[in-house]
Amino acid sequence: MRIITHTCPDCGTVVAANELESDRVMKCPGLDCQAVLRFEDLPEDARDYFLENRDRYQL
Amino acid sequence: MKGVLLSGGTGSRLRPITHTGPKQLVPVANKPVLEYAIEDLKEAGITEIGIILGNKGRKEIQDLLGDGSDYGVDITYIIQGNPLGLAHAAGCARDFVGDDDFVMYLGDNILKSGITDLVESFEVGDYGAGIALQEVDDPRAFGIADVDDRGNVTQLIEKPDEPPTNLALIGMYVFSPAVFDAIDELEPSWRGELEITDAIQHLLEDGYEIDSHVVTGWWKDTGKPEDILEANRLVLEDTELTTAGVVEDGAETDGRIELADTSVIEDGAVVRGPVSIAEHTTIKSGTYVGPYTSIGANSTLEDIHIENSVVIGDSEITANGRIVDSLLGRNANVESAEELLPEGRRLVVGENSQLKL
Repeated sequence: MRIITHTCPDCGTVVAANELESDRVMKCPGLDCQAVLRFEDLPEDARDYFLENRDRYQL
Repeated sequence: MKGVLLSGGTGSRLRPITHTGPKQLVPVANKPVLEYAIEDLKEAGITEIGIILGNKGRKEIQDLLGDGSDYGVDITYIIQGNPLGLAHAAGCARDFVGDDDFVMYLGDNILKSGITDLVESFEVGDYGAGIALQEVDDPRAFGIADVDDRGNVTQLIEKPDEPPTNLALIGMYVFSPAVFDAIDELEPSWRGELEITDAIQHLLEDGYEIDSHVVTGWWKDTGKPEDILEANRLVLEDTELTTAGVVEDGAETDGRIELADTSVIEDGAVVRGPVSIAEHTTIKSGTYVGPYTSIGANSTLEDIHIENSVVIGDSEITANGRIVDSLLGRNANVESAEELLPEGRRLVVGENSQLKL
């Protein structure tokens, strides 16, 4: 199963796609980081793969 | 070599303690469990550590560890979100790990002997992974490894009916980056998780050698209240304890006692070690603190007899009674009802609490 993540360009915090997708737009959860992360920051093929397989990323 | 420290999970078996914080921050001998893992990684020469965070307790863990500089390490946070299994957690660390080998350490585990031997054993060979094992009395209850006469793993079996060995996986692993391709090949198990044992089995089937290291000292998964008490006992038994605070004349002390420099054992109190008493705590007259007890910071004990217990901190315990084998959460107070009418115990008890009266 492909595991998709996005790394905050400001602080290096790594966020899993399931977390990005659930919020769509989120403040970076890194310490004192003000960056805004978006599901759309992921490459298009990663977004498509995630959305096609979304149920496998839920418990 | 990098470190990946798993700090997610719901902590459901430690409720109600974990209603207000992550299980990895429950203290053992007055130190959060997670700090033992950080120390083990650092002792093994690993200072680049990725902390995997779930849906719970992220802020508390980040507030404690910060960027790692207080511990002499460099921390990167990795947000796994949904707990989709250990292999998913490892997979989330792929960009952090890059082309390095890495140790994967479960953040609610404590090992007596650390991980240096595990890491060194892995590094002398050309392995796809290394796993820590421990001999157990009931191998049917564990994931079990079969090993050849060179110590290489030949097979992993989950809770086997006929176990080939009594060597159980204990949740400490070393991986080469090859594990990420193995994880890509996994499908969720019957419980909807990506299983790390399946990833290791993939490595075996792809021809990688898997090292094993048998841990001889104690190992504790601190997932349940009784595990916290036992870990507390084991750590207090093994740790050097320093009395820096005030022991007043007339106080009776015996055995090894860790007493923070801002804490006091007053005249008329009895403390028998091994015991740990954290900062700004007072043990007043008439109190007995018995072996294998840790009292957290900012607490006052008076008239109580307490032993083999963990008081997390910010507590007032002033009842005239005996507390044994107990875990008291932060801000939990135990007061006397002796002069209150009608007679009876008065309880304010949170969800999932356990009382034996």
